[in-house]
Amino acid sequence: MIVILLKGVSVLGFIAFSAMFLIWLERKVSAKIQNRMGPMMTGFHGSLQPVADTIKLLLKEDIVPQGVDFITWWLAPFFVTVPVVMAFLVIPFSSKWIALDLNVGVLYICSVTSICVLGIFMAGWGSNNKYSLLGGMRSAAQIISYEVPLLLSVLLVVMQSGTMSMQGIVHAQEHCWFIFRPHLALAFIIYTIAATAECNRVPFDIPEAESELVAGYHTEYSGMKFAMFFVAEYTNMFIISAIATTLFFGGWQGPFLPGLVWFLLKSYGFVFFLMWMRWTLPRLRMDQMMSFAWKFLTPIALLNLLISGWFMVR
Amino acid sequence: MGAYSIFKGFKVTFKNYFKKSVTLHYPIVKKPMTDRFRGMVDLKPPDCVICYQCIKICPTAALDLGHKVLEDNKTKNITKFTFNAELCCFCGLCEEICPTDAIFLNKMYEVSYFDHKDLLNIDLMSDHKYKNVDGGTS
Amino acid sequence: MGELLTVNMGPQHPSTHGVLYLELKMDGEIVVDCKPHLGYLHRGIEKIAENRTYTQFIPFTDRLDYLASMNNNLAYCLAVEKLLNIAVTDRAQYLRVIIAELNRAVSHLVAIGTFAQDLGAYATPLFYAFRDREKIIDLFDSICGARLTYNYMRIGGVSADIPAGTEQLIKDFIAYERKQLIEYNELLTYNVIFLARSKKIGVLSKETALNYSVTGPNLRASGVKWDVRKEEPYLVYNKFDFDIPVGANGDSWDRFKVKLDEISQSLRIIEQAIGAIPEGNPVSKVNRVFRGTGEVYLRTENPRGELGFYLVAEGGFTPYRCKIRSPSFSNLSVLRELTRGLNISDLVCVLGSLDIVMGEIDR
Repeated sequence: MIVILLKGVSVLGFIAFSAMFLIWLERKVSAKIQNRMGPMMTGFHGSLQPVADTIKLLLKEDIVPQGVDFITWWLAPFFVTVPVVMAFLVIPFSSKWIALDLNVGVLYICSVTSICVLGIFMAGWGSNNKYSLLGGMRSAAQIISYEVPLLLSVLLVVMQSGTMSMQGIVHAQEHCWFIFRPHLALAFIIYTIAATAECNRVPFDIPEAESELVAGYHTEYSGMKFAMFFVAEYTNMFIISAIATTLFFGGWQGPFLPGLVWFLLKSYGFVFFLMWMRWTLPRLRMDQMMSFAWKFLTPIALLNLLISGWFMVR
Repeated sequence: MGAYSIFKGFKVTFKNYFKKSVTLHYPIVKKPMTDRFRGMVDLKPPDCVICYQCIKICPTAALDLGHKVLEDNKTKNITKFTFNAELCCFCGLCEEICPTDAIFLNKMYEVSYFDHKDLLNIDLMSDHKYKNVDGGTS
Repeated sequence: MGELLTVNMGPQHPSTHGVLYLELKMDGEIVVDCKPHLGYLHRGIEKIAENRTYTQFIPFTDRLDYLASMNNNLAYCLAVEKLLNIAVTDRAQYLRVIIAELNRAVSHLVAIGTFAQDLGAYATPLFYAFRDREKIIDLFDSICGARLTYNYMRIGGVSADIPAGTEQLIKDFIAYERKQLIEYNELLTYNVIFLARSKKIGVLSKETALNYSVTGPNLRASGVKWDVRKEEPYLVYNKFDFDIPVGANGDSWDRFKVKLDEISQSLRIIEQAIGAIPEGNPVSKVNRVFRGTGEVYLRTENPRGELGFYLVAEGGFTPYRCKIRSPSFSNLSVLRELTRGLNISDLVCVLGSLDIVMGEIDR
């Protein structure tokens, strides 16, 4: 009983610390790419900047706009944050450190992260604002469309390893990491593109495009509720990286260093790659994004599945 | 192929990741201004010959000068010489036209005031009109 | 198909360049009509000109198109020199050409950076463009003392000669910028997402461009080879060898590419001019008094198009009338034509590619 409680608390603590670290990392990475310095004054090279941001957000006035659908509007941040936290249950941090090794781990993660769409749609509808509604609808359409290639590429990994449990997939990569097999490398590329779209990051960040319709679905949120959207986005980014590490890069396996260190290194490396992508590429238009998902990614993922499945069965 | 262009973009940002920062860590490190930098309007009162050229050429009427003639009908003294920093457009025409280089533009660029009224009538005759004339390095 | 939604892309918006108010009528996400409302930055500069002497008006011309101040100063000084028949020394002419071309490169860099920002390449190309621009702005700071509103040109010459070491700095900048232009091509111009966002968007045909009197890079991107520096050369442009880049289709990508090519052509002109500056005195004293009669219309090639000054003088110290023909005004007028039936993301893209500055439009 105590063990379960300790596990829960440590996971929550890790999430909070990780979100703060990611906010700092994003600002420093963007600054270095743009030849500037980033936060320097708060703490050593700005490391206490996220603490300052959190305090500022806590102290902000919580404005309830007029005419909102109160229950929908109030519940929306929770519907976005809680599923992301729930997905941490099955992430294998190392061979012994996994909160709960479900034998349907992959299915669990995919179904739980789909609940985020509901939260975004509630945020868009509940705020009494046509910009938010437009942003919410665009975001919902985008996330639902990109779930199909995501699941198809994850399915290939499950087929290759024969099990849906996360630890099982890591163990199936003992001889050779999945990224080094050609059909799985293609699945990895599809997974990266689809996961970036799931997380609303550039080049798929139309829902929060600042240069078009103000701020999208989280326009009407201030203070701690806005902070919850923010934390949910960065934690989602970490979840995606953690899943990519487990499914394609061999999880916590590696020589010399303990498993936990390897896992964190690989996950944060993938997060760095996502940030690098944000500061390099322009953003796609809505209809281009949709046609890319349905007319390009999904057929390729299906073909990949078909051909590798045929090879596996032969 | 299209995807290759994305990789070239990545290469550019990756190269720039390792370059030195072009910004300075202000306010710990400050850059000195150039020789001809046009800051706030300043005056060396002994050099002024009260020719009124700067008043006539200022495009926005930011300078205000008054003088009186003493009993010997020869020497003139300045009664007031004020500068309205709100109207000034920092063009430097007064500095260019002054025949004795009495009025000039100093190197002050940190020009924030707490009260709006402090800006309207800066007395150019006083010695303590500006706080950080050398651009804050002193 | 319901009723049309009226959306205000109001005076304060992250991507209207300046205080521009666009009243959009939208059907879902498609723009049906777009009406610009102007005047939020009107300062009465043309009326002020009637009460200022010729030299006193030069700082006001800085604030028209504040991204290319040197070119505005130049156009006004050339107009007054033509009106009152004032001669300019050779060295002053060469210096003016070099400074004007440097300002053209700088202004195009800002246009490129902000266009990429509007398309979503969030901040990175903007910072790179501004980093390059910073070198030139520092150079201008050492020449005339200001970074944005220079007040450098005078009637009959320039206000001060260039300090020692400037020529070497300019040569270093030319070498540096040629490398950076290759980087911009790799990062942006041939990027597949950038191409998908800007090719075939906002196509401006030759006839429409000529009918709306669009000038500058927008006209050249539509295929019309017209540049005032070649058609009616002013200063010493007829002594230099440079090309006029022309686009093929007139879409937003062509407007972007023409600006990039114009930067390299400007670098060519500067290189030739630096190698041939004559000795002499370029300074024109600021206490010269000008008066005369007549009327003149003079046009120059601003980075955004054709800037024209129409001056009427009736013998006093101040002009009787000063009318400014601003290029961005005509360029903006074609926005309504171009954006019928476009997505709102494409409207932002077209507005960014037209490269307008509100200071010029509202005066």
